[in-house]
Amino acid sequence: MSTDLVVDARWLPPPEPMERVLQALEMRGRGQRVHLLIHREPYPLYELLNARGMEWRSRTLADGCYEVLIGGEAGDV
Amino acid sequence: MQAAGGLDFRQAPPFFVPLRFFLTAPVFLFLAGLLLFTPGAASWQRWSPAILAAVHLVTLGFLAMVMMGAFLQLLAVVAGAPVARPRLLAGLVYGPLTLGTLSLAGGFWLSDRWLFYPALTLLAAALATFALAAAASLRGAARNATVFAMAAAIFALAVTLALGLALGATRAGWLELANFVALVDLHATWGLLGWVFVLVAGVAYQVVPMFQLTPAYPRRLTRYLVPLFMVGLLDLPWAQEARSAWPGDAVALFLAACLLVFALATLYLQHRRRRRVADVTLDYWRVGMACLVGAALLGPSGAQRFPALLGILFLYGFAVSVVSGMLYKILPFLAWFHLQSHTQAPAGTIPNMKSFLPEVRARRQFAVHVATLGLLLLSTLPGGPWRYAAAAGVCLSALRLTANLWGVWRLFRAQGGRSG
Repeated sequence: MSTDLVVDARWLPPPEPMERVLQALEMRGRGQRVHLLIHREPYPLYELLNARGMEWRSRTLADGCYEVLIGGEAGDV
Repeated sequence: MQAAGGLDFRQAPPFFVPLRFFLTAPVFLFLAGLLLFTPGAASWQRWSPAILAAVHLVTLGFLAMVMMGAFLQLLAVVAGAPVARPRLLAGLVYGPLTLGTLSLAGGFWLSDRWLFYPALTLLAAALATFALAAAASLRGAARNATVFAMAAAIFALAVTLALGLALGATRAGWLELANFVALVDLHATWGLLGWVFVLVAGVAYQVVPMFQLTPAYPRRLTRYLVPLFMVGLLDLPWAQEARSAWPGDAVALFLAACLLVFALATLYLQHRRRRRVADVTLDYWRVGMACLVGAALLGPSGAQRFPALLGILFLYGFAVSVVSGMLYKILPFLAWFHLQSHTQAPAGTIPNMKSFLPEVRARRQFAVHVATLGLLLLSTLPGGPWRYAAAAGVCLSALRLTANLWGVWRLFRAQGGRSG
């Protein structure tokens, strides 16, 4: 598997985190996942990813930020 | 569903639901500015027809118009409790609110009692429909400090409306009220403090940390400030009825202290924000909070001695500033979000949020707004040419705000966005 594309969107005002994630999703190579770091839980992004049929998984980090791993196809994440 | 501390756009109403309120509101601000040119506004007399008309154009036409549009959005994304039929509700509220506000302002300005008939009927229909629908939705809402503040603000709006209808009926000659002046004070207190301040505070708990990247408000503040403030508001008329003056003074001082705590806490959080980049909304909020500090320090004694100064600080300095700042954040955000959702566009093919409303245009309008605020404050001094300059400033600022907001909508449409 290729290296994840990392988007560090911590402490960026909305909707910059979403803009950057969408850009990364367009740019990534085949099989490459997007690894998002963000300071708030990105509910609107989940909605958008679901609407596009993308797989994602999120978890809370020790510092209160969130890590969202986004893959392109089922089973990727 | 909505989790604490986040926004959930799954149930967001169509863009046109809040949009029509946001695009119409600055026009009322412009009309209020025009009224300040008239001779009736010369001395800032509280009871002068032009001032009464201008105040209601600002409070109903600008502030309530934006706040009600935003409320419909907030019910869905913050409270997780959207109104059942947002298009229908917005339609039932928007038209009567617009026409009712114009009729009321006309009734005050022309001292024409016949205009109060349509005004009271339309405003009662608009505000009661809105309050009932919002209250019904809030029954199924998530439980958090913002939702509590929204419910408290709706209650305050209902009290303000009931008092306003009684006062309007008196003015139209259908009713006689013995304690007319005291009820006017109560009407203004519930409208400005209960509806405007409480809703701003509740919304600030969400939007200040989110958009201005500040730490969260202290939990104790969000838990206790609005509930205690509402207890104070409810107590105020009984305390003022007491034989001695001190209970009324004590409650009024407590309310002023609550305003001060909120404003200072917000300024402190903004000072501790994570990213120190220029942002016109942040600057609008800072001006708003500074004016709220001024209003809190001036009142309650200021209400008697300097009513015009207090009114300008609270209405234009605090409320209009905060609402304008929020418009600059919410409208481009919603335009970007709905465009993204509608078109499912790949990144880079739709404008980013900042290009919906270039910062330089917002900042020019902000500069006019701040200069206007200064002129309005100067115009409370006796004599001098400040009132005409202030009136021109209100008009120019409102026109620039209108142009900036309509520009967002035009770009949205040009990019293929559907607002319906």
